[in-house]
Amino acid sequence: MAQETHTPGLMDLDAASRKKRDIINTYKRRFRRHDAIAAAIFFALLFLTPALPGVKGWMVSEASLVVIYVIAAMGISILVGYIGLVSVGHGGFLAIGAYTSALLTKYYAVDLVVGIIAGMLVSAFIGAILALVFLRLSGAFMAIGTLGFAFFVGTVVNNVPIFEGRDGILLPDNVALGMEIGDFGFYYVSIVSLALVTIFVFCIVNSGTGRAFMALRDSENAAMASGVNRLFYRTLAFSISAGITGIAGALNAHIVNYVSAEVYADIWFSVDILMAVVVGGPAILFGPYLGGLFVVMLPFFLEELADFAFILKGVVLILVLRFAQAGVAEVLLRPIQNLRRRKLLEVARGAK
Amino acid sequence: MLGQQILSGLATGSLYALTAIAVVIVFRNTRTINLAQGDFAMIGAYLGIVFLKDWGLNYYATIFLVVICCTLLGAGVERLIMRPIANSDWLTLFTTTIGIYYILHGLAGWIWGRDTKAFPVTFDPTPIDIGGALISQGHLYNMLWALAIGGALYCFFNFTKQGVAMRAVTDDRDAAFLMGIPVRFIVLLTWGMAGFIAGFVGILIAPIIYVSPEMMDEVLVKGYVAAVFGGLYSIRGAVIGALLIGVAENLAGGYLGSHFKTATAFAMIVALLAVRPQGLIGIQKRREV
Repeated sequence: MAQETHTPGLMDLDAASRKKRDIINTYKRRFRRHDAIAAAIFFALLFLTPALPGVKGWMVSEASLVVIYVIAAMGISILVGYIGLVSVGHGGFLAIGAYTSALLTKYYAVDLVVGIIAGMLVSAFIGAILALVFLRLSGAFMAIGTLGFAFFVGTVVNNVPIFEGRDGILLPDNVALGMEIGDFGFYYVSIVSLALVTIFVFCIVNSGTGRAFMALRDSENAAMASGVNRLFYRTLAFSISAGITGIAGALNAHIVNYVSAEVYADIWFSVDILMAVVVGGPAILFGPYLGGLFVVMLPFFLEELADFAFILKGVVLILVLRFAQAGVAEVLLRPIQNLRRRKLLEVARGAK
Repeated sequence: MLGQQILSGLATGSLYALTAIAVVIVFRNTRTINLAQGDFAMIGAYLGIVFLKDWGLNYYATIFLVVICCTLLGAGVERLIMRPIANSDWLTLFTTTIGIYYILHGLAGWIWGRDTKAFPVTFDPTPIDIGGALISQGHLYNMLWALAIGGALYCFFNFTKQGVAMRAVTDDRDAAFLMGIPVRFIVLLTWGMAGFIAGFVGILIAPIIYVSPEMMDEVLVKGYVAAVFGGLYSIRGAVIGALLIGVAENLAGGYLGSHFKTATAFAMIVALLAVRPQGLIGIQKRREV
């Protein structure tokens, strides 16, 4: 943004203000760069996990679960972080993705990749329809509406016969691109999905669309006065978010090759992924990585003390909201940022 | 048959109404949607089991103690967790209550276990005949309690100094502060009141649904939906909404099949919000720039 040519006009700034603006822009750009680098590092770590010595199949499954949560958290971070809406019902989209892919693989024996794409599309489509209802609402009303949606999906999968309720649907073995894959293969399918999702989110956030999202988040009326179509961008964001969560849902169905209302008729998923985003850092690219790791690994390490894990989750959530409202990711980036800021300030003083 | 369905719908609706009232009073005084409201009641139900079974108290003493404990719980949550972040945006406040939800869930599971428990007090199963409609004693009893609590709240909001002060804080916080109303204390009182109501809800609903950490999730969602009917601001709207939901879902359960119950509430909220986004009796709040 700093590269844009300066044209004199009504909003013309004097030299000092221009300098200041450039410094702020540089600062923002650096922040985005550090953010992307951090995300890449986390991604590389996840990517290399199966190659570590002594890693067994179940560890890889656990890592796949982390990847799934990170994808779901990425989806919700578009809403919470970039456009300033909140959904407590994304577990519903997770279920939609899971059941779409599950039914397709069971009855039509489609490829895993096709199943994932179908899960994404169906979820995004339903998201777009729902958006038209929910997006007339704002803030608190929307949170309640989406929570109602999650319960509604839960009722449907519990009672409509094709979803087989609590008995669940047992799926055939995973076949991706014509090959039968095991735990390791599945891990790479999910990590490739994660890579695509991360790149997609990065691109959209740094595009004009992303700036429109953030304009709506920061000042709705100012954005609308500047010609940002609120309904369109909100529907778009909601639909993208639902689609990404649908991918996570499809993967979640195939990780254990089993879907049942026991798992999907709960609001836990919705609350967990919302929490992953809030703890990690909603408006930061690698925030969902931290959040997903936290939400999955905490109960894993405290396996014997499942209830204690709940308490700990709650305490961490409250502490993060009290002391680091932009998320843990922001706290991690802060030292580097401070270093940069000091340098920039020195430059600024020199310029005066 | 129809009258009977409506009557028992009103009975379940009256418990939703209490939950909805608690959600509304907390929201309009603190901008917080309290996700932990159901868990206050859940803790109350477990405490009820402890007092009745382990301490051997009688039913009324149990209600008294449970309500006191829940009131203290609500007030404690405000003082320790919500007050330091009271000036944050609503999303922060909301997600903080998710944290409280987790903690209370974990505590209940840790102390009392995850299995469902039966509540030691049960009602006589023989139904009572009211003008041709049969209603179970438990439902009748709940309805009477809910009426009494509703009446008490009405008196509180209209005839006591604290109640009027609470409404003043709702209308204009800053003006109330300048008029010398102790806003902080009123907010504490609001949360205490949410706990107070939750205590009653917990102990009244426990004999109908079994006691478990998840017992209140569904009731809470319906309470929310009812609160939205009142635009999250109007207690009257919330009560009407709750009774409507209770009746509608009972009718749907009776004529369409029991699994349409939850779906009914959702269908109602979607229909309502599509037509009137500000709620049935909502106040159109001025948009802030």
